[in-house]
Amino acid sequence: MSVATVDHSTNLGYAGRVASAICGRGMRRIMARPTLIMPVLLMPLIFVLSFTGAFGSLTRVEGYGTDNVFNWMAVYAAMQGAVFAGVGGASTTAEDIENGFFDRLLLTPGSRAPILVGTMAYSALRSTIPTTGVLLVSALGGLRLPGGLLTLVTVYVATAGMAAAFCLLGLAVVYRFRTMRSMILIQVCGFSLMFLSTGQVPIHFMNGWLHTVARVNPVTNVLRFARQGFLGDLTWSMTWPGLVALGAMVAVAGALAVHQLRRLAA
Amino acid sequence: MTCSPTQPAAASRGPKSEPSAVSAGARTGLRLAGVQTLALTRRSVVSEWRQLGNVIPGIVFPLLLAAVYTHQFTRVILLPGFPVVDSFLDFVLPASLVQSVSFGATESGTELARDIENGFFDRLRASPCTRLPLLLGRLGGAVVVATAKGVLIIAIFLLFGTEIAGGPAAAVVLVAAAVLLVIAIGGLGQVLAILTGSQEAVNATFPLVFTSIFMSSAFFPTNLMSGWFREVAEANPVTWIIDPVRRLILEGWSWSDVGQALVVPLVISVVTVTMAVVALNRKLSSS
Repeated sequence: MSVATVDHSTNLGYAGRVASAICGRGMRRIMARPTLIMPVLLMPLIFVLSFTGAFGSLTRVEGYGTDNVFNWMAVYAAMQGAVFAGVGGASTTAEDIENGFFDRLLLTPGSRAPILVGTMAYSALRSTIPTTGVLLVSALGGLRLPGGLLTLVTVYVATAGMAAAFCLLGLAVVYRFRTMRSMILIQVCGFSLMFLSTGQVPIHFMNGWLHTVARVNPVTNVLRFARQGFLGDLTWSMTWPGLVALGAMVAVAGALAVHQLRRLAA
Repeated sequence: MTCSPTQPAAASRGPKSEPSAVSAGARTGLRLAGVQTLALTRRSVVSEWRQLGNVIPGIVFPLLLAAVYTHQFTRVILLPGFPVVDSFLDFVLPASLVQSVSFGATESGTELARDIENGFFDRLRASPCTRLPLLLGRLGGAVVVATAKGVLIIAIFLLFGTEIAGGPAAAVVLVAAAVLLVIAIGGLGQVLAILTGSQEAVNATFPLVFTSIFMSSAFFPTNLMSGWFREVAEANPVTWIIDPVRRLILEGWSWSDVGQALVVPLVISVVTVTMAVVALNRKLSSS
């Protein structure tokens, strides 16, 4: 990554170039080391195969919403992959902090925001790998698109948004604790939010505390938004709550990350 | 930690007939191997205790999954072909236990790989330790942790209303089967640790273990699965362990189920630990 003069440091174009350089560095790193791609791709594929295989008979229960288990589970597995992608993006920063590269990044002129935005963009871009893998495998398993091709757009938007949100949350933790080990907190948080949502069954299948938690869990709205085209037509009433939930998660996680980055750089 | 000398003490005890001297030497060697195994087991347990942060997710995550599945699969247990249960919680107990112990099962391999990476293993080799305790000590630590996890998981399930039809003896079998499974997985981890000397390579087996559990009857009965997945699940050794254990919980005591629940993981354990011993002997003789 080339370092420009101080004059350029206030320029929006310069900030964009720094962010894209950081994003590109992450993508080149993952492409150069296939061992890094495998876990990103493998776990969501395992999820989609395991969930559709083990819970295939859920479609026989009245009110499940679809007679094709891939139409329900594919989005869930893709979202899990997006969470991994987000955590993976933040892990790259943890590695940079541990080996000292991040200190050199902080010495570059200009705003710190491109460092954060670049890492977030890397996570969002990285999430397309598991999403595409899951959709391809699910297509082989019989995934249908009653909502048309626009359904695919909703899935990619939802997974990229989830990856961005979890990357920012991960960055907030990494900037605070400065260790790779701290990423376990975000993994646990991500797993919990996914399992406490409508990932595997519709909300009316749930009872007790789980029903309440799933109803207020923002991931439920994101899943509803991404899944709608696999269950029927796309509608605005299913779309806007998902977009609001994604926006809110990115905004809250982003605010936390910016706050911790300022503390770290101070 | 120091290992006691392996030199048979009987050799310096004055004149004796040759067979009895050999027998006394063997007894002393066995005793020393036992002492060394215990010392290394203790070291392994202390190491786990100091890293409780690594152990806790292995307890919390299976419990969370059990709680979630119990509340989201209330309609599922009414499907024709599903075992007769009051709650999904009764059905999922063996899965939670196996999942919990599996989380730390590769730890004995990872720790061995760490010892190889940081040179501690070479120091042990240079000390007058016998070979087997180098492996058994690590497995011993995993067994202690797995037993503690097993008891805790069962206690929590009982607290939330699970009934074990086979009684306390079935609970003991449940823990024993889980412990044997940990030895089986740990043995495999040790083979990889010895062959690669890399923690990363051993950790890479975790998805394999995770997949084995999901592609079994752990969370759903195989008779309600279909296609290739059902065939994989029925051929999966995890299913062969979970099904008899589940019958002990849901239906009651049966010697044939006890036999199957213990023999399957025992056989796998013997195979993987033997592989680890062979790998260790080859490594030591080639270096």
